[in-house]
Amino acid sequence: MNPSDSDASRFTPATADRRGERDLDDLLVHVARGDQVAFEALYDRMVGPVYGVIRRVLRDPSQSEEVAQEVLLEVWRTAARFDPAVGGAATWVATIAHRRAIDRIRSTTAAADREHRSADVSPPHDEVAEAVEASLDRERVRRCLDSLTEMQRESITLAYYGGHSYRQVAELLNVTLGAIKTRIRDGLIRMRDCLGVS
Amino acid sequence: MRLLRQDLHTLTGAYALDALEEGGELTRFNRHLSRCQSCASEVRGFREVATAMAFAATTEPPPGMRDQVMAAVARTRQLPPEIRTHARPRRTRSAAPWIPWLSGAIAMAGIVIAVLFGFANAHTQDELNRAREQNQALAAAQARVEAELSQARAHDQALAKILGAPHVTLLSQATTKGGVAVVVLDAAKRQLVVATSGLPALPPGKVYQLWLIGPVKIVSAGLLPEAQGGVTSPVVATGIVKGDKLGLTVEPAPGTKQPTTTPILALPLPV
Repeated sequence: MNPSDSDASRFTPATADRRGERDLDDLLVHVARGDQVAFEALYDRMVGPVYGVIRRVLRDPSQSEEVAQEVLLEVWRTAARFDPAVGGAATWVATIAHRRAIDRIRSTTAAADREHRSADVSPPHDEVAEAVEASLDRERVRRCLDSLTEMQRESITLAYYGGHSYRQVAELLNVTLGAIKTRIRDGLIRMRDCLGVS
Repeated sequence: MRLLRQDLHTLTGAYALDALEEGGELTRFNRHLSRCQSCASEVRGFREVATAMAFAATTEPPPGMRDQVMAAVARTRQLPPEIRTHARPRRTRSAAPWIPWLSGAIAMAGIVIAVLFGFANAHTQDELNRAREQNQALAAAQARVEAELSQARAHDQALAKILGAPHVTLLSQATTKGGVAVVVLDAAKRQLVVATSGLPALPPGKVYQLWLIGPVKIVSAGLLPEAQGGVTSPVVATGIVKGDKLGLTVEPAPGTKQPTTTPILALPLPV
């Protein structure tokens, strides 16, 4: 296989080299055909981001593990519904992971816990900066987050890592809904350009 | 509060971060997204940013999780591919470019239908036009379809219905590299005809290869002929089994036994 021929993935080079990303798409195609060995390889590549993002949102380790397991099983079950026209495999998996974490946090059982949590959201920038030993991904994301205005950075990290709805972000930062919408979008546009997403 | 279109559009960021709450706003935005190509592509880009943020949050999972997941996988059945009776141009195309694209799709459909109905040589637009003259019924059907479609925007179902062939389904889908594949599927006979339009030209030594990607195995469905005027003449594929998707990959000439690159198209075939 000549990797230069399979440039079907539109995935960003932000998280991995392009070749690695294409492999992930291929793996998912094999997973869709019931290939458990391919699933193991996919698992090993994606479990860190999956567990990591869920853990960021939910914080609680045992809940995070539970949701991560559900997500990975969902990837197995629904792999045939992955549509490469919509985005790369990594994005597909990461989107499921984040959404399931959000589902969990917005479910009623988590509501009480969440009230408690929202009070002690530490400055999101520090959360990212914490992980200095970090991989290239981490460095790139951190550098790009750094290029945002403080408001943009806070809005995006509170929403994505904090699992807050934009309405809640507006309340936390004490600005209007309209301002938050715009800041999240403008910030993501800058992130996208900074990360080199097509 | 009624949201203006502009307000909806600025929700792309919040949407991509799953920061819209369940309810009216999310529903309205989803509806808007299905009609707004620029929104859909913006959301796609933002989701990639989110993915980078997920990778940046990479955390070592608890020990033992892998074994548990693998055990669950071993006893969990996979779902079949989603059945779509029509492609999703609405998700990726806004209202304005729809009509000319649709006309193109109809012209393409005309070509494949012509083949399916026995105009075996009607594989260029000229020949299609000649076939049209020869077959007023087809031309009239197409005119009706075009009129109906510009209103209904349910092109494939309407076409299939009007052509009076209930067992024939028209599918179309854009490839990830651009261009579109149009398929007429005869589910009863487990065969299809596929033609493409606007695929990128390939460097020498490379070919487009079609596949039937099934739940169990992948079989080659032949090569796409070289495009003329951006359009490839129809290829017939037979022996479709339940769960198959029509795949398209770029392969070294003269094709390979199994795909070696990522499909740029994976169109579910409802048989």
